[in-house]
Amino acid sequence: MLLEYLAIAVLIVLATVVALIAIGLGGLFGPKKKTVNKSMPYESGMMPIGPGTRRMPVRYYLIGVLFILFDIEVVFFLPWAIVFRQLGWFGLIEMVVFVAILLVGYVYAWKKGALEWE
Amino acid sequence: MDWTLWLELVIKALVLIFALLGGFAYLTWYERRLLARFQSRLGPNRAGPFGLLQPIADAVKLIFKEELTPAKAYKLVFFLAPIMTLVPSVIIAAVIPWGPPFQLGDRIVTQSIADINVGVLFLMSIASIAVYGIVLAGWSSNNKYAMLGGLRSAAQMISYELTLGLAFVVAILLGNSMNLTDIVEAQRDGRWFVLVQPVGALILWIATLAEVNRHPFDMPEAEQELTAGYHTEYSGMKFALFFMAEYQKMIVVSAILATLFFGGYLGPWVDRWPLLGPVYMFLKIVILLFIMIWVRATWPRIRYDRLMAFGWKVLLPLALAVVMITAVGILLAEINPWMIWLIPIFSLIAGAFASLMIDRSLRRKAYA
Amino acid sequence: MATTVSTKSVDLSTIFPDAVIADERKGYTGWLVEKDNLIEIATYVREELDYDLLSSVTGVDYLPEEKMEVVYQVYKTTGGPGLFFKVQIPREDPMEIPSVINIWPGADLQEREIWDLYGIKFPGHPDLRRILTWEGFEGHPMRKDWQEPFYEEETKPFKSRWPKGEHIHAEEINPYHDNLKFPPKFNPENWTPTDPEEALYTSLKKFTTKNEDGLEAEQIIVNMGPQHPSTHGVFRAVVVLDGEKVVSLKPVMGYLHRNHEKIGERNTYLHNMPYTDRLDYFNSMANNWAYALAVEKLMGIEVTERSEYIRVIMSELTRIQNHLVWVGIFLNDLGAVVTPLLYAFEERELILDIFEEVSGARMMCNYYRFGGVVRDMPVRAFEKLKQLVYDRLPGKIEEFERLLSENEILLSRVKGIGYLSAKDAIATSMTGPMLRASGVPYDIRRAEPYGIYDRFDFDVVTRPECDLYARYHVRIEEMHQSLRILEQAVSTIPEGPILPKKPVYQVRVPAGEAYGRIESPKGELGFYVISNGKPNPWRYHVRAPSFINITALEKMCVGEKIADFVAILGAIDIVLGELDR
Repeated sequence: MLLEYLAIAVLIVLATVVALIAIGLGGLFGPKKKTVNKSMPYESGMMPIGPGTRRMPVRYYLIGVLFILFDIEVVFFLPWAIVFRQLGWFGLIEMVVFVAILLVGYVYAWKKGALEWE
Repeated sequence: MDWTLWLELVIKALVLIFALLGGFAYLTWYERRLLARFQSRLGPNRAGPFGLLQPIADAVKLIFKEELTPAKAYKLVFFLAPIMTLVPSVIIAAVIPWGPPFQLGDRIVTQSIADINVGVLFLMSIASIAVYGIVLAGWSSNNKYAMLGGLRSAAQMISYELTLGLAFVVAILLGNSMNLTDIVEAQRDGRWFVLVQPVGALILWIATLAEVNRHPFDMPEAEQELTAGYHTEYSGMKFALFFMAEYQKMIVVSAILATLFFGGYLGPWVDRWPLLGPVYMFLKIVILLFIMIWVRATWPRIRYDRLMAFGWKVLLPLALAVVMITAVGILLAEINPWMIWLIPIFSLIAGAFASLMIDRSLRRKAYA
Repeated sequence: MATTVSTKSVDLSTIFPDAVIADERKGYTGWLVEKDNLIEIATYVREELDYDLLSSVTGVDYLPEEKMEVVYQVYKTTGGPGLFFKVQIPREDPMEIPSVINIWPGADLQEREIWDLYGIKFPGHPDLRRILTWEGFEGHPMRKDWQEPFYEEETKPFKSRWPKGEHIHAEEINPYHDNLKFPPKFNPENWTPTDPEEALYTSLKKFTTKNEDGLEAEQIIVNMGPQHPSTHGVFRAVVVLDGEKVVSLKPVMGYLHRNHEKIGERNTYLHNMPYTDRLDYFNSMANNWAYALAVEKLMGIEVTERSEYIRVIMSELTRIQNHLVWVGIFLNDLGAVVTPLLYAFEERELILDIFEEVSGARMMCNYYRFGGVVRDMPVRAFEKLKQLVYDRLPGKIEEFERLLSENEILLSRVKGIGYLSAKDAIATSMTGPMLRASGVPYDIRRAEPYGIYDRFDFDVVTRPECDLYARYHVRIEEMHQSLRILEQAVSTIPEGPILPKKPVYQVRVPAGEAYGRIESPKGELGFYVISNGKPNPWRYHVRAPSFINITALEKMCVGEKIADFVAILGAIDIVLGELDR
């Protein structure tokens, strides 16, 4: 089994090498004439006001937190799905209880407006 | 470890990489020609017969382009981001079985890089990694469009990942395994999972569209709003890597969809000639790609807040419902095998209900 | 109230005997208003007389009389002729006239334009910055004593171009590169602009939004344009964003400014006809008509019968092709790659074929003349026209409707977005489909018929929704109405002469003023022309619908998403050639 992961490792290395070669080709043959105006960040041809990297709206963090919550749920689903046929009805009922608890949180988040993008 | 094993590993890896590279190159040609047909144009037709050398000409052009780095960019991250985007788009294909194993001399050669028993989990994890490259590209460019595009795509990709994961669960339930070869083998004799669970296949397709930022979910690079989104500042070969990653992801998600729901490499006589497997995969991928391009030629883009609402409020509950329906249906099928067909019936009812709700909410919002 | 006052005989001078006198210069109409009483009179005109639509405000420089004049042209959205009133001030700095922006918010951009080009200040205007030229531009270019670099003469034809009876191009006198002079040691490649446009950015309201939990969100100022794929050219909007939401917005324009009006005042009357093509380059046929209308009013000549029909036909064809392409570009703004646009272009090419056959050019037609059109429509073009009008276009427009109108994604993108109430639309001087999409049935073809529009049977299309959906549907429906007009015109067009008399290059235009306005596909297109009897117009002003319809952009966009900004801007249907002039 470990052999299979070795194969993936080989693939990662080779893919990285190909990517590096591609960038290297560009660096080798492309012209390099830097000017001040060329290295300005692009903002429709105007001077940008303020830094380009800055605090982001809270909304995105909220989505991140919600994602972590529900992603754990999905991760929990995976092993359950594997052994589902052995567990039978018992496993199904147990999962329904688990999902029901999660749904409470989901409904709460929805009602609280966490899913609105205003 | 003998040297033939190493040779096999390297050869298979190289074959996959170059197949994806070639696939990328000709997918751009395929898309441009197809889009042109949809738009009553001709598309590229000068370089080589039918414009077949066009991708090569494009590559040469990109190699000879100047690469710019914005003055206040985070240079190292800016350099690494395209690589971090490209590599996952290649290795995600490692677990996909392209055909049944075949005999070569005295050894059995599997037609996949790695036939691991947690294949679906691998797909999920690599799909999550793919978001890093895009976010970092947007963040390191010191450009407002790029940052907004990067943020958008981060939020979008993680939102649809939940749905993606649940759609995978449907396939695992039906195939009773996480190993992709097992899932394909479970679809023998024309029992493609798309017939049992059409709504699950549709959900997976929509979620993968959002994952690879394809139309109508191509928010991060919404040209009309954020010029080019996260790769606004990239040029030359670095830009080409993003482009490459995007198109390779298109190919790979089509392959995943074909594997999980459309019978993978299965087809007539594939057992007698195992090398027919990749051919069937190719055909299925081409058809799925055609649909993707068709969508692009036809529909306007969904607005960003609607896209997030669609992911969270419609697709996620629908996917949960579909998982539950599938689970119940499988248990009922153990009592009577014909009960398995309750799954598509109830799933379609759930799907119809969801689209009804969308329609109603649109009507309600119309004249607020 | 207003109903007691007949539209024909509003006599301002009897209502305000101390402040208003009739304008009795030869060929002029309207009223001369005292500067100090302007606000009072304007309020009366707006509130009591119900002249709710400020069509145009513009300046005129009377250099010989040492006077500066501002002309206000107001109309009623219920129809009927307009009311002109003027304010005259001595021609010495500082020139100040109170702003009417609180009475007609539509004066916003127009007063800024007058400040920019004439240097008249409007106390009371909240944001009086230059608009077409840049901050720091020297002088006010529309003044008669302002001279550009390489100034030659006040009027064309310039004598220097005919030194030995042969024509010389300006480029031969001033070769390229000689007309650019940089300070010593200045390299444009390495130059970085240092002025961050303070005035503009301070005019964007600076405030932070807090959400319920008291978290402060950081706002981002983003430039959309001038080099942006979706601003239809070099239009620029500075947007303040909170996440995806537009908090504040300012339009910036002038990147394509060439002082069209100054050029127009240098040209002779006929010279100007091809220049009008370049304003809204999609609708040269409509632009020609508006200019011809103004000059014909001055000259007092009649248009021949057949020419009137040809004018209607060309103008309605223009409307159809403009709206078709608008639908395509609008869908493109919504993110539908370019498929609808290319479908639209297919039909547009067929219409342009007809333009080419009658005028020789597909886009820059230069087809109208004072009193008619330049040449008759060939028989073959007429056959093509009939085939288009009866067979092809009706089906194609229906096809567009079938493909797009019910698309769920399209509906979710347009319904309820970019709301502009009827009251606001009138106040901000919106015209054309924008106004009608807010439920105001105002169409100059009906409100003050020009040409022979009173002979045709058609409906003024309105929608009550006031959003993008309404703007989309108004345009689709207008194409059907244009086809109705075309069918009537094609079946009744008479034979006859094209021009009333032999064409001449130098027309004789008596002194006076005239305002010719038509319903162009984008809105009210007006030409305000003043003649002093010489071969060149003394004043040549274009009331451009693209320009004035931008006034309401901020109102429509604030509170919407950044993606909607693109769609809302697209729905206004601007063309930069006309916007920047």
